[in-house]
Amino acid sequence: MTAAWAVFAKELTDALRDRRALAIALAMALLSGPVVFALVSNLVSGIEERVQKREIVLAAQERAPTLVNFLQRAGATVVAAPADWAEQLRSGRLQNAVVVPPEDFEAKLARGETVTVEVAFDESHDRAQPLVSAALRTLQAFNRELGTQRLLARGVSPRVLAAIEVDERNLAAAQARGARLLFIVPWAALIVAIVGALAVAIDVSAGERERGSLEPLLMNPVPAWAIVLGKWAVVMLYSVAIVLLTLAGFLVSIRLITSETLAALMQLGARELWLFCAVLIPFAALMAAVNMLAATFGRTHKEAQTYVSYIAMAAQFSAVVPIFLTVRDTTWQLLVPSVAQLTVLMKALRGEPLSVFDLLLPAAVCATGLLACLYAQARLLTRESIVFSRG
Amino acid sequence: MIEVVQIAKSFESGAGRRRVRVPAVVDVSFTAPDGAITALLGPNGAGKTTTLRILATLMRPEAGQARIGGIDVTHDPQAVRAATGVLSDARGLYVRLTARENIVYYARLRGVPSAVAARRIGELAELLDMSALLDRRVDGFSTGERMKVALARALIHDPHHLILDEPTNGLDVMSTRALRRLLLQLRDAGKCLLFSTHIMQEVEALCDEIVIVAHGRSVARGSAAALRAQSGCATLEDAFVSLALAAPHAEHA
Repeated sequence: MTAAWAVFAKELTDALRDRRALAIALAMALLSGPVVFALVSNLVSGIEERVQKREIVLAAQERAPTLVNFLQRAGATVVAAPADWAEQLRSGRLQNAVVVPPEDFEAKLARGETVTVEVAFDESHDRAQPLVSAALRTLQAFNRELGTQRLLARGVSPRVLAAIEVDERNLAAAQARGARLLFIVPWAALIVAIVGALAVAIDVSAGERERGSLEPLLMNPVPAWAIVLGKWAVVMLYSVAIVLLTLAGFLVSIRLITSETLAALMQLGARELWLFCAVLIPFAALMAAVNMLAATFGRTHKEAQTYVSYIAMAAQFSAVVPIFLTVRDTTWQLLVPSVAQLTVLMKALRGEPLSVFDLLLPAAVCATGLLACLYAQARLLTRESIVFSRG
Repeated sequence: MIEVVQIAKSFESGAGRRRVRVPAVVDVSFTAPDGAITALLGPNGAGKTTTLRILATLMRPEAGQARIGGIDVTHDPQAVRAATGVLSDARGLYVRLTARENIVYYARLRGVPSAVAARRIGELAELLDMSALLDRRVDGFSTGERMKVALARALIHDPHHLILDEPTNGLDVMSTRALRRLLLQLRDAGKCLLFSTHIMQEVEALCDEIVIVAHGRSVARGSAAALRAQSGCATLEDAFVSLALAAPHAEHA
């Protein structure tokens, strides 16, 4: 244990003197909070504003004074569509749906014929969705008003047409509405936990091989596990420190970016930050061991970087898999590291209750994986092909 | 005392179907007594470094035995490591640490009390003429300066056995002389020193016992004078060439 402590003290000094790695890690931790929150808040607040303003974009509004009149009575703002609206829709500069009445709009209306009104939008722009449905709803209201008037004129009760009445009840909790975008917040924290201490993990493993310092190190009368343990402790500590800094950045950012929409969508207070810590620290500890193990196969920093980048990619992509699944929060998701962390953190952000199981199961998986990695690495350090092949 | 009895070691080379086993050490035997400097003299690729790595407990021999201070290197590697100092082929130092920190790290790993370590670092720095280097970061050190730090690191626990792999590689005259002075001093203190080299002058100037290694076999041993007599040559270099060439080639499997 004395030896593990000696390794820990030396590697910590060494890591803290690596100014370049330290600068990159700090920049990542301090910037990710503000950037993520600025993005999310910009995304949600823009849409909310426009839906509330109830802007209806009309092309050739002179063709349909009746419709304009209805819209104004209904409290919507009528905006004339720009000349190149089709182009603007495709490029995403224009997000609202564009309502295009035909030339014979008024004439057909007067004759009591059905008029076809075109509503143009670009579905590929995710943010346009609420604006499009707002436009469609408004047109339907116009349709209903005219239809009702015609029925009344013929002496028929409008109720004849209302065989059923639809009452929409959205079961998503208030915080769950924006949840599709919110995965970015825990995802950013997760990425920091995965790659935050990469430089250190590579330096203590592949770095030793590249410098030719592994061979003399292993000639000391010290068991390999003590060396591995000391090194892992430093990588883990570094990683946890960066995760905590990132969370502190989140906290500051959410105070600075005051968006009511954002506050309604997402719960991020003291309780959630504690949950973030409880979920991310075991994960950071696991990733420290995984990255170190993978990097040990590299004879040089460069080679090690290739190996760890596969792992970082796999962890980042697998984390977002549950977002595309239809059934949420099943048990298997808690068994897969990175998927589990994102799932639990999303639950926390949505303000859903978390069970002890939600926290303990992923942590237990992390601890098991971590021990397996440390054991594998200690075995690796006794392999001649690892000790004696240098870059 | 270091005893090596008929050790053998081979490596895999190539990949897939063209993978072959290349013998590195076929049959090496020698004894390095206490209070003496023993040299493994041989051309590049003769198996010197592999032999030293087996003695340093980082490689397992496929056949034969190696003992340091009576302890078999495969039975109790930790005890062997504790009693041995090795200046390996890889001199790797930590460039962000100072020379002193590099040495103190090994002292701590070997359980040397810090007061003792501090005193020994002072003594070794004096002997190796490196006192001015101690508190500078290793980044930017010359080959000779690095060797001195690595050697001080290998000697920090005052080992009874010292194994050095081509210690004078890349050293200038002054550093070589400092190294020789230290090795002679250690010998006179009764230590057991073993080093590998391919440089004749060094062997003549320093060694009590020479083991000539060629093609993975130890082909001759004795003092410089004895080897000259055995081969009937006037110089050690000629003796070496005739003895090394006479050795049977290792069969490539």
